[in-house]
Amino acid sequence: MTGSDLRRRWREYKAEQEQSGAEVDIRVALAGSMTVEPLEPYLGAQLLRRNFKPSIITGPFNQLRQICSDPHSTLGRDDINVIVLLWRIEDLFPDMLMHCLRFPRTLGDLTQELRELVDAVSELRKSFSGTLIVSTPPYPSWPEFNVLEVGQESFGMAIFNTISQFWTEQIGKLERVRLLSLQGLFLKVGIDQAQDVRKWMLYRQPYSEYFWLETGRMLARMIAAEKIGPKKCVVLDLDNTLWGGIVGEDGLQGIQLSEEFPGKAYRDFQRYLLYLKSKGVLLAVASKNNPDDVFEVFDKHDAMILSRKDISVFEIHWESKVESIKRVAGKLNIGLDSLVFVDDNPKEIGEVMERLPEVSCVMVPDELAHLPGLLADTEFFDVAEVTDEDRRRSEMMAVEVLRKQSQETMSEEEFRKSLGLEIKVFKVEKQHLTRVTQLINKTNQFNLTTIRRTQDEVEVLANSKDSLVLAMNIKDKYGDYGLVGAAILMRQNRTCVIDTLLMSCRVLGRGAEEALIAKITEAAKMLDCDELSGKYIPTPKNPMVRDLYSRFNFSRVGEQDEWILDIRTQFFDQITTKATEQVMLFENPVGDHDVHLLPRSSGERRAR
Amino acid sequence: MSDALIQLFAEILQIDPTDLNEDSSPDNLKQWDSLASMELVAAIEEKFKVKLSTKEIMKMSTIGRARKVLQGKSVAA
Repeated sequence: MTGSDLRRRWREYKAEQEQSGAEVDIRVALAGSMTVEPLEPYLGAQLLRRNFKPSIITGPFNQLRQICSDPHSTLGRDDINVIVLLWRIEDLFPDMLMHCLRFPRTLGDLTQELRELVDAVSELRKSFSGTLIVSTPPYPSWPEFNVLEVGQESFGMAIFNTISQFWTEQIGKLERVRLLSLQGLFLKVGIDQAQDVRKWMLYRQPYSEYFWLETGRMLARMIAAEKIGPKKCVVLDLDNTLWGGIVGEDGLQGIQLSEEFPGKAYRDFQRYLLYLKSKGVLLAVASKNNPDDVFEVFDKHDAMILSRKDISVFEIHWESKVESIKRVAGKLNIGLDSLVFVDDNPKEIGEVMERLPEVSCVMVPDELAHLPGLLADTEFFDVAEVTDEDRRRSEMMAVEVLRKQSQETMSEEEFRKSLGLEIKVFKVEKQHLTRVTQLINKTNQFNLTTIRRTQDEVEVLANSKDSLVLAMNIKDKYGDYGLVGAAILMRQNRTCVIDTLLMSCRVLGRGAEEALIAKITEAAKMLDCDELSGKYIPTPKNPMVRDLYSRFNFSRVGEQDEWILDIRTQFFDQITTKATEQVMLFENPVGDHDVHLLPRSSGERRAR
Repeated sequence: MSDALIQLFAEILQIDPTDLNEDSSPDNLKQWDSLASMELVAAIEEKFKVKLSTKEIMKMSTIGRARKVLQGKSVAA
C-alpha cells in the first residue's frame, strides 16, 4: 500500500468509528518535541493491518515534560494503553546545543539536562501502567551538523554520539521503557529522504511522508510484539532455497553454494539463518529428496554454513510438504502458527497456504540478491523483550531430543523415574514478569482461558493483595526447562478464581500439572478461600485441557464450562498426599520452594 | 463530471464536493486547519506528482488559488 492508500484507509476507519462508536481495543497517545500528527494515519493503518481496533490521540506540541509529570490531564484521558514520545535534541535544548558546538566543553551541561529528561521518563514509567515507547534522538537536522565532516573538525558527530549513548544507556536502565530508534530509521530511509525542510519551516514538522510511514510501521511492530508472540521455527526447503540447483540431479559438486553469485546468495541466506538460530529460532528442513544426497551436502560440502546439528528436525522424503510441516510442529510440540515456511516452488507454497493457513509462507524471491535479507525485514521474530529462555531455547531443544531417545528405550515409568524431576512453584517476582507475560501471550495449547495480558497488567496483578501470580520452574537431569508454567488467581470473597492456568506443552506428563494444581490449592487456602473456581474457555487450540478440571475432581457448575472444587474436603489431601510432603505449604508466599514430585503411577495416562 | 482537485479536497477535508467551490478557504471551512493543510500538501504532491515550494504552498489559500499554482506548473488540475 502506498502512503496515500494508508492515509485513506485510516481516514475511512476513523469516520466509521465516529459514526458507529464501535469498540476500540487499543488507545495510543503520540507526543513529540516536534509536530507528530502526520504519524497518526500511518501508525493507525499499520495497526489496523495487524487486526487492532485502535484509537490514536496526539498530545500537545513540545510538552514532553508535562506529559511525563501528569499524563492524564495533559493527554486528557486516563484510559491510554500506549504512550509514544518522540524527541530531538535541537527542539528541547537549542541554546545549549548551539553553545556546545562553539564550546565543546559545555557538553556536560547538556547531559545534565538530559538526566532530568531521563528522570521525567522514569517518573512517567511509575505513574503510567501501559506500554511506554520513547525515541532515541535522531542526528540533529541543523546545517551545522554536517554528516560528511570527519575527525577533528566534526564536533557535531562527537556531540551527537555522546548524547545518544548517554540516553540509550540511561533509558536502558529503566524497566519496561521501549526505545524506538529514530536514528536507525534515519539510516534506513536516508537523511536526505527523511527530512523535509519546507514542512519544518511551515508546520514545525521536520520529516517526509515516507519517513513517517516507516516510523509508523516500526511502531506498529513494536506495539504488536507486546501482544503477539514471535515465530518459533523456520521450516526450510533445500533445493533452490538453501542452495542453488537440485542435489539429486546436479550432485554434491554441481549445486550452487559458494562465494560467487548465485552461490553467494544461498550462502549468505544460510548465514542469516544461523544468526536467527543464535537468537533462539529453531530451524527445520522439509525437502523432497533422498536423505543420503542431502546429508552428503550437510556433511561434505565446503561452503555449507549450516550443519546437521543446527537443524532441529529433518523431514526428507517424498511425501507432501503439508505432511512434513505437520510433523515438524508435532515433533517440536509447537503450534502451526509458530512456523514460517520458506520454499522456491509456488505450488508447494500454494498448497501449504491453502491446507495449513496458520503457517506463514515466504517464497524465495525471483531476484536472488534479495534472498539473504528475506526474513530480516519481517516482524516474524519481533519480541517485546528477549528473555534468557529465548537464548537457551535452541540448547534446550537438543536436550529434548535426548529425552525423546531415552523415552523410546524404556517404559513410561522407568523414564519418569530416570528423569530426576525437580519442580518449583513460586510467587512471581519482578524479575519473572517478562517471561511470565511472554508465556501468557504465546501459550495456546495447555491454556485454560487463553486470556492475554501485557506485562504491566501482570505486574498489577502480582502486586495486588487480592490476586496471586504463580510461576513454575522445571528441571531434570537432562537440563533446565526454565520458567514453563504460570497461573493467576483472584480472590472473590471466599472463592478463589483461577483466571489463568497454563504451561508449555514440552513439560506435560511428568507431574507438572499435579504440582501446579496442588500449589494453587494451597495458595487458595492461604488466600482464605473455601473453594476454587475455574473456567475452560475453548479455542481451536486448547482441546487438550478440556477435561483437566474433571481429572482433578472439580465439579461442573451449570451449562458453561465452569468448575468448582471445595478445598475444605478430600481433594486437597488426595493431591497433596500424593505429592506427599514435597509440596511445601504456603507459609511464606514470597518464598521460592522446591517441590520434588514422585513419579506418577503407571496406570495414569499422559495428558498429551 | 467531478473535478480531480475538488475531489481531493473533499476527501481530505471530509466535506461533500458539492459544498466546495473555487473560493473555499481556511476562512470559510473549519475543517481546513493547519493539520489539514499539511495533509493537503502531501496529497496534492502525490496525486499530481509535483513538488511544491514554500512560496507555492503559501499561495494556496483557496481552492482556486491552489488550482492556479498547479496550472502554473503545467498540471491539469
